Amino acid sequence: MISKILRKNTSAAQMAGFVLSNFIGLVIVLGGMQFFLDARSIWSDSDSIINTDYLVINKKVTSAGLMSAGNTRFTEEEIARLGEQPWVRSIGRFTSNDYRVMARVEQGGRGMSTYMFFEAIPDEFVDVPRSQWAYQPGSDEVPIIMSKDYLTLYNFGFASSAGLPQMSEGLMSSIPLTLELSSEDGSRRRTVHGRVAGFSNRLNTILVPEAFMEATNREFGSQAGAPGAPDAGQGATRLIIDVSRPGDTAISAYLSEHDWEQAGDKSAAGAAFLLRVVVGIVLAIGTVITILSLLILLLSISLIMERNRAKLHSLLMLGYPAGMVARPYASLAVAVPAIALVLSVGSAIALRAWYITPLEGLGATPAGVWEMILTGVALAGIVCGVNLLTIRRRVRGAFR
Amino acid sequence: MPRVFVNERIPASAVWLAETTFERGHTYLVEATSGGGKSSMCAYIYGARTDYEGRILFDADDTSRFSMDRWLELRRRNLAYLPQELSLFGELSAIENIRLKNRLTGHATERQIEEWMERLGIASRRDHPAGRMSIGQQQRVAIIRSICQPFDFILLDEPVSHLDAENNRIAAELIGEEARRQGAGIISTSVGNHLMLDYDVRHKL
Repeated sequence: MISKILRKNTSAAQMAGFVLSNFIGLVIVLGGMQFFLDARSIWSDSDSIINTDYLVINKKVTSAGLMSAGNTRFTEEEIARLGEQPWVRSIGRFTSNDYRVMARVEQGGRGMSTYMFFEAIPDEFVDVPRSQWAYQPGSDEVPIIMSKDYLTLYNFGFASSAGLPQMSEGLMSSIPLTLELSSEDGSRRRTVHGRVAGFSNRLNTILVPEAFMEATNREFGSQAGAPGAPDAGQGATRLIIDVSRPGDTAISAYLSEHDWEQAGDKSAAGAAFLLRVVVGIVLAIGTVITILSLLILLLSISLIMERNRAKLHSLLMLGYPAGMVARPYASLAVAVPAIALVLSVGSAIALRAWYITPLEGLGATPAGVWEMILTGVALAGIVCGVNLLTIRRRVRGAFR
Repeated sequence: MPRVFVNERIPASAVWLAETTFERGHTYLVEATSGGGKSSMCAYIYGARTDYEGRILFDADDTSRFSMDRWLELRRRNLAYLPQELSLFGELSAIENIRLKNRLTGHATERQIEEWMERLGIASRRDHPAGRMSIGQQQRVAIIRSICQPFDFILLDEPVSHLDAENNRIAAELIGEEARRQGAGIISTSVGNHLMLDYDVRHKL
């Protein structure tokens, strides 16, 4: 009977409208958030070794470079000026080996050996746990980070044509790699064991810890300094930069102005940044719609209660408890967000089912849906809470 | 025993600017000219308005400190009120209006209500929307509604202003019976046509 009296000014169409607007807001927020969580892994998980905020740059190799080896080196002055750019947080130099390296792999009785090279960057740029990337001076074991491209090259180029088995990252890491280091004239030599600590697709090189590089360059390096060896004052051919805003156009402008190029997969940092911007916009729109729909619902409930104020007052005059009088409105205020929540979570999951296969094809590891559901519940809970508070205030307002 | 004091600033009277006590088990008539503040007095005692000076005490408790929930409970258990404007729900039928109160208190049986309606001559209008009944009929519905609860006092604001002498007598009978049964006090206001009861005390407002 109370509902009959108090719900007189509410219609099913109105309620459907509230559910719809609430649903649209929530589905944009939840869908956008879920997509971000799922897609994020394409960029962030694919290279856990080198952060996407790091850029690797080098000078372009031109035909003029053939005439004078070494003009692809960055001078101290260039590095200093680069360091003054606002988007640069820190700069690391690549150092390379100044001695010969012969790598040998033993596999099922078959051996394979090749000349190799190393490069090193400061440890702060390598996102591998310290315990796995440490090199004890004098130790026989050295951790290595390899370019994923090399593995791909081996698996799909070399192994299939030479009839060798293909190797996964895990398998590759478990194969013992024997490295023979020797000085240019062959007078000093030593054997160490390489352990693959990880693969990177942002660095086209074979990386060893800086400490190992320093120690071995001192031990085997030629006094004169072979081309490519970064003796003090000579600068490096490649630099790794920690940038504050990976997608900044100022970076590409600066690089092209100096005729330098960005190595590795150039798109990743920009794409990750772009994803963040796009998702940010989508989430902002969804949040605005959610807030607006909340306000509309709130205003409508307030308006209905205001129109029914005399009836509310009469019921309170009869001694009806505030809770009983509020119930018809409270049930609306809870039902609308609750229905919208169920619909939007369902839609976000359906949307996810639609994009998840192509996304996995792009190399994403999908995130769970719990974060999205919890966010939805929290948002709907806030909407309910605000509504209930307003209703309570309105009932109290109708008392006298 | 409940005691009520009312003080106010307007014209000199037995209630305003004075100390008045209402006691359970007694009947009071508060007479006034139109605009004398009868309805205000009822609203103050019932907690519906607070625009007064002075103090209203229920036993020793100052009612100005009562919370909304306390008032609502008092209205279900201790105070019955028949407002002058009746406050019936026009879209509900006569019986629904009465049930609206009775379901809350569970005080009277369905048979008892039917009997009261019979006695006041509105049984035939039982299922008519209250909004389409005459003022006199509405007044009788409101009278029945007001006694569908336990009470220590019943406040009747011009309860029979639209009733003929016969219905006035029957209404007085019903209210008197219910108040006696509960040992309650009756406070009735009037501008001339008053509820036909033997009043213990008559106040001029």
